Amino acid sequence: MRMLVAFLVAVLLLSDPFEAAREKMVRTQIAARDVADSATLRAMRTVQRHLFVPETRRDAAYDDRPLPIGYGQTISQPYIVAYMTELVKPRRGHRVLEIGTGSGYQAAVLAEIVDSVFTIEIITELAKPAADLLKNLNYNNVVVKNADGYYGWKEKGPFDAIVVTAAAEHIPPPLVEQLKEGGKMIIPVGTPFFVQTLTLVEKKGKEVSTKSLIPVRFVPLTRGQ
Amino acid sequence: MTARLIIAVGLLSAALIAFQLVLMQLLSIVQWHHFAYMVISVALLGFGASGTFLALTREWIVKRAESAIPLLMMLCGAAIAGVVAISQSESVRFDSYLLFVERGQIGRLLLTYFVFFLPFFFGALAIGIVFIRNVDQIGKFYASNLLGSGLGGLLAVVLLWMFALQKLPAVLGLLPVLSGLLIVSAQNRRVTLVVGAAALALSASLFFSPSQLQLSDYKSLKRTLNLPDAEIVFERSSPYGLVQIVSSPALRYAPGLSLAYRGPLANRDVVFNNADWFGPVFVAQRHDTTQVLRYMSFALPYAMQQRDRVLILQAKTGMFVAQALEQHASEIVAVEAHDVVVSALKRELASSTDSPFFHPDVSVHTVDPRTFLQSDTARYDLIVLPTLDAFGGTSGVYALQEQYLLTKQAFREMWGKLSATGVLAISSWMDYPVRNPLRALATLVETLEDEGVAQPHQHLAAVRSWGMITFAMKRSPFSEQDVQNIREYCTLMMFDPVLLPAMAGSERNRFNILQDTSFFSLVDGIVSDKRKAIYSDYGFNLTPPTDDRPYFSQFLKWKTLPRMRELFGEHAFPFLELGSLIIAVTLVQIVIVAVLLILLPLLKKKMIDAGRWRVVLLFGGLGLGYMFVEMVLIQRFVLFLGHPIYATAAVIGAMLVCSGMGSWVSSRLPPSSLKTIGLIVALSILVYAVSITPILHSFMSLPLWLKFVLTFLLIAPPAFVMGIPFPLGLRLVSQHESVVPWAWGINGCMSVIAAPLAILLAVEFGFSVVMISAAACYILVFAAVKLPQFS
Repeated sequence: MRMLVAFLVAVLLLSDPFEAAREKMVRTQIAARDVADSATLRAMRTVQRHLFVPETRRDAAYDDRPLPIGYGQTISQPYIVAYMTELVKPRRGHRVLEIGTGSGYQAAVLAEIVDSVFTIEIITELAKPAADLLKNLNYNNVVVKNADGYYGWKEKGPFDAIVVTAAAEHIPPPLVEQLKEGGKMIIPVGTPFFVQTLTLVEKKGKEVSTKSLIPVRFVPLTRGQ
Repeated sequence: MTARLIIAVGLLSAALIAFQLVLMQLLSIVQWHHFAYMVISVALLGFGASGTFLALTREWIVKRAESAIPLLMMLCGAAIAGVVAISQSESVRFDSYLLFVERGQIGRLLLTYFVFFLPFFFGALAIGIVFIRNVDQIGKFYASNLLGSGLGGLLAVVLLWMFALQKLPAVLGLLPVLSGLLIVSAQNRRVTLVVGAAALALSASLFFSPSQLQLSDYKSLKRTLNLPDAEIVFERSSPYGLVQIVSSPALRYAPGLSLAYRGPLANRDVVFNNADWFGPVFVAQRHDTTQVLRYMSFALPYAMQQRDRVLILQAKTGMFVAQALEQHASEIVAVEAHDVVVSALKRELASSTDSPFFHPDVSVHTVDPRTFLQSDTARYDLIVLPTLDAFGGTSGVYALQEQYLLTKQAFREMWGKLSATGVLAISSWMDYPVRNPLRALATLVETLEDEGVAQPHQHLAAVRSWGMITFAMKRSPFSEQDVQNIREYCTLMMFDPVLLPAMAGSERNRFNILQDTSFFSLVDGIVSDKRKAIYSDYGFNLTPPTDDRPYFSQFLKWKTLPRMRELFGEHAFPFLELGSLIIAVTLVQIVIVAVLLILLPLLKKKMIDAGRWRVVLLFGGLGLGYMFVEMVLIQRFVLFLGHPIYATAAVIGAMLVCSGMGSWVSSRLPPSSLKTIGLIVALSILVYAVSITPILHSFMSLPLWLKFVLTFLLIAPPAFVMGIPFPLGLRLVSQHESVVPWAWGINGCMSVIAAPLAILLAVEFGFSVVMISAAACYILVFAAVKLPQFS
């Protein structure tokens, strides 16, 4: 009997109470909005988002919105994380650079798909807990650095993809330099709780082009539509 | 005793108004100005609530008036000194950005309301009791109340220059304590003095160790201070705001930088005003740090041809000045009204910043740009306007800010200052949904049409980077050489032309591809005769702002609100047009509370009487009408005096002082003259509504001191007459003693409602409509007095 109780307790401790919420999040918020990349969907199903939000906000971890994580930073809306991940087309064998680790959620999602993720966070108070959390969750293919992401990570580059989650009013030239030929960089532009548009940067020879995307659930505000 | 009581009322009134202005400034720093406004509006309900409280407890409180009045003054002093510290404590502090994210924040906001409500409630209650007990001399006491309030506005401005902002509540808390000491009576003397001593001790302790202001995590200053090695290297408080300059090796600034740029970027110190981004500190004559300015879309005017005489309006910290120097302009005029920032760059920081403001080719004018445009007679090859919006948007927090530099009238004034080949340039962030660039274009096109230009598209060019768009409006049509130069510039910088005479559509989406190409259709529509249809059908308001409705950043259309919510979602939408929504929410909640405060006494059995509705009409009309006029005049005189601080101080000061004089004179008039006075006020408001703008326009070039004199002379006549009706009205209803406190409450409530209502009316219909509404309020006063109950 005692053995049975211990077993049940262990099962309860090991089970993920948010699994159903996560599955629902992927189904209703992400797949329903046309994110179709199987690797991305798998990663979003796997990463326990509730561990990356402050404990006081865990109940809202799988809500369809960004949440504050302190220091004026936010963890992006799940859909935006998935959409940005899909846009850079991550694959096995890729090296990805992330600027703006935040709580480490986007890095964890990428780490489920690619070989190595290098992520830089400028705010010390965010960088250390994120590094500890990722280590505790056995994301051994993620390296966190507490530094100014403006200069990228030259010695680890060039990168197949760069994901900028802490955008500035200009795209740092060193990041463009560290992007592989044919590589993709994604940058969100918007206020903390309202990501309005994503900018995709592509490098082809000497030319660097950008594409301003809109989240697919928005429709253009034009006449007669 | 009467003389001391009159002085005490004046001191208390001065403290309440000065505290209100200080509180607004403090809340603008820790949150945003629209939230500051919201909290202040609710706090001012203390006046209305005091009227209700008096109506319900009149007999009980009047019996104890001798001791209640000084005690309430002491409590008011303690509350003024202490409420800011309480509001900043961990258990009370709210964050406006989290209001739509965490329900718990609503409770904190309500708690904040209550905390700020207290000083106004105590103060207004003391004044209300004085009024009730002295109805026979109401003119003198009301005059003291108005004069004190008027001088309180000026006192706040003076104190803002003298002390650090955080210390001011402690300083102002002394005034009500002093007024209480002036009239302390034998009755309950000990209790009153103990409370007074406690208030003084609190003031002293908070003066020497003021509470630290806890900024919202989402204020740009707070976020910047999270950067490594960030430190505040300069700080100065003034009526213009709290100026702070931050230094950090991680601060760089190159808005919308071309992806063709591969060079280094210099670190920059950044100036913040009230914890909001003001601008980066650029350095003059250092080619390695300013060359980068060629790689931003706002270099477009220089790509066409050399620009010798350049005018930079709202020059902020001098980035566009540095650019003009870098482009070898020979004569640069920079206009920036923020005197504190300019003087810091030119004086205290001169040794470390090498500001472009004191390059020999640059002349700096610390005056409002519109005032400068009126008085300056030169012509320019280039006029540069400040950049619209901000990277990532601003959540609509500037929706309620008057921007006189971005109206059609302002653009026409600039058009008149351009040389034959001169250009007016304005840049904007590419927001989504697109609003700012479209409104800027609409304003440029309508300016050209108003100036009689037959083919506006021949005078307009625009280029776009990945995040920014720059428009150029040329005095003469663009030449083929201009067009060729722009195309070459775009190719070099990997920018895309958006508007050029005779351009192919394929040129527009080459380097920086827009997935949603409706932007181009909208641009073409605005330049064509389809413009009006776009104004009407687009989800946001794009009509060009005017001096009568100078709200460039107000894009919300109430009729499309449901559609917007559907498109962007319940959680996200509030962050799209926050400012407009906040003012609407403010109005709704204030109306609810105010109606409750007015109706509550009505529910008392004795008060249910048809005649009481005339009291609502009379005192409600006076409260609304007076505030409507005051708010419109402040906005009108901002343009005339060149700074909101001057306008606020001059208008409030002149109005309240002159109204105080009117109130004093009212004691010599019979109450029956209220009808005539109401009509005279209504008529004079209508006359001012149509004549004030042209009058001010013709005196714009006067020196500042003369403008202040003229301001007083213009405001004095109507303000004097507007001070008469309230005390006359009180005398008229004083035969029903129970009505007096109720009338005081209604007047207070309506004054509070008037503030957000006036702004909403101005945003939707323009200042003229607000003035007409004010006249209508005084007509109501006339109608109310005509009713038989008052005969």
